[in-house]
Amino acid sequence: MENRLIITKYSEQFYPPTPNNFTLFLRRSIFFQLIRFFILNYKIMKIVIKGHS
Amino acid sequence: MSNIVILGAGVAGHTAAAYLQKGLNKNNHKITVISPTPTYQWIPSNIWVGVGRMTPEQIKFDLRPLYKKWGIEFIQAKAQSFYPEGDDQIKTGFVEVEYTNEEHKGVKRKVAYDYLINATGPKLNFEATEGLLPGNGNIASVCTFGHASHAWELFQEKLDKMKNGEKQIFVIGTGHPTATCQGAAFEYILNVDFEIKKRGLEKQAEVIWITNEYELGDFGMGGAFIPKGGFISNTKLFAESYFVERNITWIKRAGVKKLDDHKIYYENLDGEYLEQAYDFAMLIPGFAGHGFKGYDKAGNDISEKLFAPSGLMRVDADYTPKPFEQWSIKDWPETYQNPSYPNIFAPGIAFAPPHSISKPMTSKNGTPIFASAPRTGMPSGIMGKVTADNIIHWIKTGNATMIHKASMGRMGAACIVSAGYGMSKGTAATMTVSPVVPDWEKFPDWGRDIKTTMGEPGLAGHWLKWLMHYMFLYKAKGLPFWWMIPE
Ligand SMILES: Cc1cc2nc3c(=O)[nH]c(=O)nc-3n(C[C@H](O)[C@H](O)[C@H](O)COP(=O)(O)OP(=O)(O)OC[C@H]3O[C@@H](n4cnc5c(N)ncnc54)[C@H](O)[C@@H]3O)c2cc1C
Repeated sequence: MENRLIITKYSEQFYPPTPNNFTLFLRRSIFFQLIRFFILNYKIMKIVIKGHS
Repeated sequence: MSNIVILGAGVAGHTAAAYLQKGLNKNNHKITVISPTPTYQWIPSNIWVGVGRMTPEQIKFDLRPLYKKWGIEFIQAKAQSFYPEGDDQIKTGFVEVEYTNEEHKGVKRKVAYDYLINATGPKLNFEATEGLLPGNGNIASVCTFGHASHAWELFQEKLDKMKNGEKQIFVIGTGHPTATCQGAAFEYILNVDFEIKKRGLEKQAEVIWITNEYELGDFGMGGAFIPKGGFISNTKLFAESYFVERNITWIKRAGVKKLDDHKIYYENLDGEYLEQAYDFAMLIPGFAGHGFKGYDKAGNDISEKLFAPSGLMRVDADYTPKPFEQWSIKDWPETYQNPSYPNIFAPGIAFAPPHSISKPMTSKNGTPIFASAPRTGMPSGIMGKVTADNIIHWIKTGNATMIHKASMGRMGAACIVSAGYGMSKGTAATMTVSPVVPDWEKFPDWGRDIKTTMGEPGLAGHWLKWLMHYMFLYKAKGLPFWWMIPE
């Protein structure tokens, strides 16, 4: 989130949720993302196996 | 001996060819692939070619040596007309094709078949929007590797201008009132924005999303509900949040009608005719069929029997017109078999969908403005495989019952939405939906299985997308144990 102030108040862009620093940290953290990588692979495989059955 | 002809060597056609040669004895059966270019391209990575992170050579390869190894005949030509009943001389069905290679360019030939797979994908219908042709002034496309490589050249020009202090407006999204493939444009805008910021040029850039979607995150699949942070959230909030985080603004419910060198002219659902200035535009064109013709044995035009008005091929879908409220997953095809000629199949984008997935909307002036149904890589690959499996079963048993089925109303899809390239700084959102077409009877609350539907941004998504690039090219190249990699 670089510069929220440039967004006009009461415009559509004013309302959506924006990630806080902790969320951004998790999205970028190599350690946390490594764990997510395996979890995401597992979740995708579940969908893939279902699609091929 | 059976003679199988495949038109198109994209995701659906090449997948079908690969499984057919694996499942059939090549000494007894003939497989022919006809495609205007001898290259296979991994289209999703065009996004990275369009921002200079990959070269076209990294995303494509020559199919001819592989087909030679597999015992598949390759004809470099484009299909033009279908004769499913044959004619006076040829007793089986045949297609008329025109060579596109240098040696025989323009020469026509009849190619007979016992089984025909039409996997010709979409015609990129740039002509349907005045001025949209890529290469025209400030207009780019990422739909093919050639287009994407031109997009990168144009993007570099704009980066140089920004480095010299000039402001530039980037407009990316859909270029036709009923275009689809929003996902690809969404990836491209995020990657363009990522590259601008990486160079510290964001003060010089205005990045704008323009879309025919009713709400952001519709992606032509009517959006999706996803569990997030203790709520059942949706892709609208997800897409908006992604843009707000990056200071990307948006114009929605917009049907782009025309472009000149500096302005985009569009109509919105309120019926207003508006303009948007731009210095760089990448807008996905409308998709259509290739304008194929069909003839019966006597030479009468039977194109309507084979093709829907969009030009895409009729298959086992329910094409009865009905209001949105009555749409069901039962409308969607399962075997991609033409109802009039059961030995013709159309997997991938080549088949005519029964209707869109998103609700059709019309502007106050009567212009339809909404996203058409997408058919992404994974479903296209699965359809190609199912078609091959059914033909193999038919040939081996003589039983024409289609035992393998793959409806978009039952299968899920995974899609990794790249938002920036880099092993430590990259990011992408991993999205899964199941099924692709919402099934409101089975899942009355959310339309889909909420347990398997997700959208998660982060660095891991980039690793996945990167891995998939190499994995799917490995599979497409038919390297050892390729068939163990799913579609
Ligand atoms: C920029 C971009 C990014 C994308 N990213 C993703 C993604 O991240 N994930 C995802 O799942 N999907 C993605 N997609 C969608 C995906 O590429 C398509 O779903 C998929 O390519 C469709 O496969 P297909 O075989 O139906 O068509 P295509 O792959 O388009 O193949 C069609 C084939 O037919 C050939 N052909 C055309 N005309 C003729 C003719 N007259 N005669 C014979 N052959 C002909 C073509 O040369 C080609 O070989 C993306 C699409 C684009 C444009």
